[in-house]
Amino acid sequence: MREVTLEVSPGERKAIIGPNGAGKTTLFNLITGVFPPSSGEIILFGKEVTRWPPHKRTALGMARTFQITSLFPKLTVLDNVLLALAGVGRAKLVMWRPLSSYEKFQNRARELLDGAGYWDRRDVQVRNLSHGEQRQIEVLLGLASDPKLLLLDEPAAGLSSGESREMAEFLKRLDPSLAILLIEHDMDVVFDVVSSISVLHFGAVVEQGSAAAIKRSERVQQIYLGTG
Amino acid sequence: MKRIAVLIAGLAAASPGISQELKIGFLAPMTGIFAQIGKDMENGFQMYIDEQKGNFAGAKVTFIVEDEEGKPPVGVRKAEKLARQDNVHLLVGGLLASTGYAIAPVSNRVKTVYVLSIAAADDLTQRDLKQYPYIVRTSWTSSQPHHPLGKWACENGFKTVSAIAADYAFGHEVLGGFQKAFEDCGGKVIQKIWPPLGTKDFGPYIPTIKRDADAIFSLMVGPMALQFPKQLQEAGIKKPVIGGGTSYDEFVLPSMGDEVLGHVSALQYSAALDTPKNREFVRRYREKYGKVPSYYSESNYTTAQMIHEVMKQTKGKWPGPEKFIQMITQLKLDTPRGPVRFDDMRNPIQNIYIKKVEKKKLHGYDKDELWNTVIQTYPDVSQFFTYKKEEFLKQPVYSRDFPPCKHCN
Amino acid sequence: MKRIWILLSVLALAAAVAPFTGPFVILLLAQILVLGIIAMSVDLLLGYTGLPSLGQAAYLGVGAYLTAILATKFGFGLGWDFWLVVLMGMAAGAATAGFFGLFAIRASGVYFLMITLALGMCVWGLAYRWNSVTGGDNGINMRGRPKFGIELANDLTFFYVVLGLFIASFFALHLLVSSPFGKSLVGIRERELRMRILGYNTWLHKYIAFVIAGGFGGLAGVLWAHLNGIVSPVDVLLPASVDALLMVVLGGPGTLVGGLIGATVVVFLREYLATMVQWWQYVLGAVYVLTILYLPGGIMGLFKGGKA
Repeated sequence: MREVTLEVSPGERKAIIGPNGAGKTTLFNLITGVFPPSSGEIILFGKEVTRWPPHKRTALGMARTFQITSLFPKLTVLDNVLLALAGVGRAKLVMWRPLSSYEKFQNRARELLDGAGYWDRRDVQVRNLSHGEQRQIEVLLGLASDPKLLLLDEPAAGLSSGESREMAEFLKRLDPSLAILLIEHDMDVVFDVVSSISVLHFGAVVEQGSAAAIKRSERVQQIYLGTG
Repeated sequence: MKRIAVLIAGLAAASPGISQELKIGFLAPMTGIFAQIGKDMENGFQMYIDEQKGNFAGAKVTFIVEDEEGKPPVGVRKAEKLARQDNVHLLVGGLLASTGYAIAPVSNRVKTVYVLSIAAADDLTQRDLKQYPYIVRTSWTSSQPHHPLGKWACENGFKTVSAIAADYAFGHEVLGGFQKAFEDCGGKVIQKIWPPLGTKDFGPYIPTIKRDADAIFSLMVGPMALQFPKQLQEAGIKKPVIGGGTSYDEFVLPSMGDEVLGHVSALQYSAALDTPKNREFVRRYREKYGKVPSYYSESNYTTAQMIHEVMKQTKGKWPGPEKFIQMITQLKLDTPRGPVRFDDMRNPIQNIYIKKVEKKKLHGYDKDELWNTVIQTYPDVSQFFTYKKEEFLKQPVYSRDFPPCKHCN
Repeated sequence: MKRIWILLSVLALAAAVAPFTGPFVILLLAQILVLGIIAMSVDLLLGYTGLPSLGQAAYLGVGAYLTAILATKFGFGLGWDFWLVVLMGMAAGAATAGFFGLFAIRASGVYFLMITLALGMCVWGLAYRWNSVTGGDNGINMRGRPKFGIELANDLTFFYVVLGLFIASFFALHLLVSSPFGKSLVGIRERELRMRILGYNTWLHKYIAFVIAGGFGGLAGVLWAHLNGIVSPVDVLLPASVDALLMVVLGGPGTLVGGLIGATVVVFLREYLATMVQWWQYVLGAVYVLTILYLPGGIMGLFKGGKA
């Protein structure tokens, strides 16, 4: 990555697009702290977090989903969500009280799962869900910690067009104060969900602007939309 | 591994008086690196039982062998099993000194006699004896043959010795005994090298042996014993070698080559002993098992004989543990190794043989073989040698640091 | 929950028949329970956290040597202070794990296996070499078991004390694995990166689990010393660690109870098969291989898919 300057304001919905290998996921890994950057800085909610480990950034109110589904396949839907809920706050180091006895987690999990229509199937192991369902749980896990900034890495990857539309609707319904940074190849989803777009090419930002402006940009057409 | 070796001779009817039973629980390694030694131990004992057709003065002998794997905690478990489940009258065996140390307390817990037929840990019949009323030793203490060996070395012109010994309790005690007697007579141990037990490559150790030493003292066990003389020869070192008992015993000797010719060692037994009793023992053992008996075999054969002698006195009735201990320590027997009696600390007083490895024909066998020819006999040696028991017991048990190496620098 | 009731009934049954089992079987039962504790500690690492430890015998050794040294050199721990020794053994096991964990937790998978193995060998080396304290190769013989109103020298009494401590350990660990912390371990086993993104300091969680497992290893060690009456470097050697690991694999990882089942199978096979045939080790080996190939959930896996 080089010379990428990217800003996301509270409540903003922004997409990062670019051809394969443009460095989109790498950018996410830098933002979330999976790898440290060799230079430059990352500021999260006004704090310099360039060298922070991922779990501390999460505590500040950041969440992320993965392009390749990264759930806990042998755990139930409910346990997946509960793990995500307990990830922020102090409860995660408690050893003397069952997780199932935390009512705030149970209630919040019910809220989330009810909202997405999974409460009835809370005891199903995640590996037994369909791919589309797993993508939705993936997003639910991102939402569980009540983040202020959500990074979505191709939430619609591998979904049918109908499922993609559902996913877009789902994302649009989310709390408007939540800032979203979205990587997505499905342009219908992108234009449906976000208001601004940054275009990444060979590790650098080549174009930024409103969704409409990017749609019109010739350069973007050339490197991405036209050829892609 | 239970083998009930009851040989009810074909003539059961003709051997009247088998009405009582003597259950002997035998502990020897049957698996692992010491399995072959365990076999020698078992064979010796078994041969005596077979010779008596399983009948010790009217008591039918039930011989139960358990595999102690050469590991002390396993030995403990097996001893507990033999005593508690099989209700044996006696526990016999245990190869390693450490296994002997471990089983001794079991004999207290289960109030069962424990006969140490091999395990040589010095302190069991020395400073720790008082704790263990049910033990008796029929073999030797580690240092017992090596006191006379130290004296012999000193009297035969060796002034300085460089020692290399396996680094564990048995090695410490063997070298300790040698050093004590050697230095008390005027010799000097000028170096002690401690390779770990199981060392096969002596490359790092041999070059450090001091060149000005008159002789090398080596204490090896098992595969170590085979490797060390070979590598010494390859390194071109031609110093005389004096060894602890297990460096050249008959268990390892048949696998050795000419590199050990002339090496001297000491033990309470040599298969080359030229007495009628031993010639006969070697012949019968070799016929039955196809190999020369080692001290592991002799010691267990003799142990079986001692138990039999006690049973003769009681006419086949088990006398109870206390009485048994008392009776066995009163025995004076003529055995393949020579005359054996006991000191008041339940350890044998016996001949110690200084032996030299020679290649020759012996006992009427027609091939040239390696034998431990006896070159000097120290008769009636006790575990305290010529020292006063009380004073001897005041010093600590031999260890890596005792006696201190005054002449090392 | 059902599983706990089954376990408790089995243990209650064992407690009820214990007085009638005979003097040797009672020792085996106590041995199974002690091994059950160490197996549970391995399960916490292997089954829940996904860390295959090959050095668990080290903590058992630390607890056992501590017990033996205190008892023989200082006459400590042979009365009521036995309970202090139990706590000290746990603390010593945990402290050792706390130190080793600094090195081991950085690694995962086969590297974790190798590092724990190497660290275990360090403890063995210390036990073997530090003659003046550990008795070296001879180990340390204990003079007798504690007595405080009750006499642990009585094997039945000792068995009940071990049983009590096993049940306490089981409930402590059972609560732990159902707590938020315990669930986080399973999450780490399943997908560590996701856990970090979800806000977990996964290093810390693994480290704490490692320390706790060390503590229970130390507890098993205290009991092990009194059970055998001897502590020997052999107790700390690699095969002891391998045994503990295989008991968990055999019984079913991620179930806690599996360790006890594995210990039962191994102890009885070893004691009774060994009495019958000389090649018993091959039988045990075959049992392990078949379990790994055909029963990835271990024996517990036979009773419906265990819930992690």
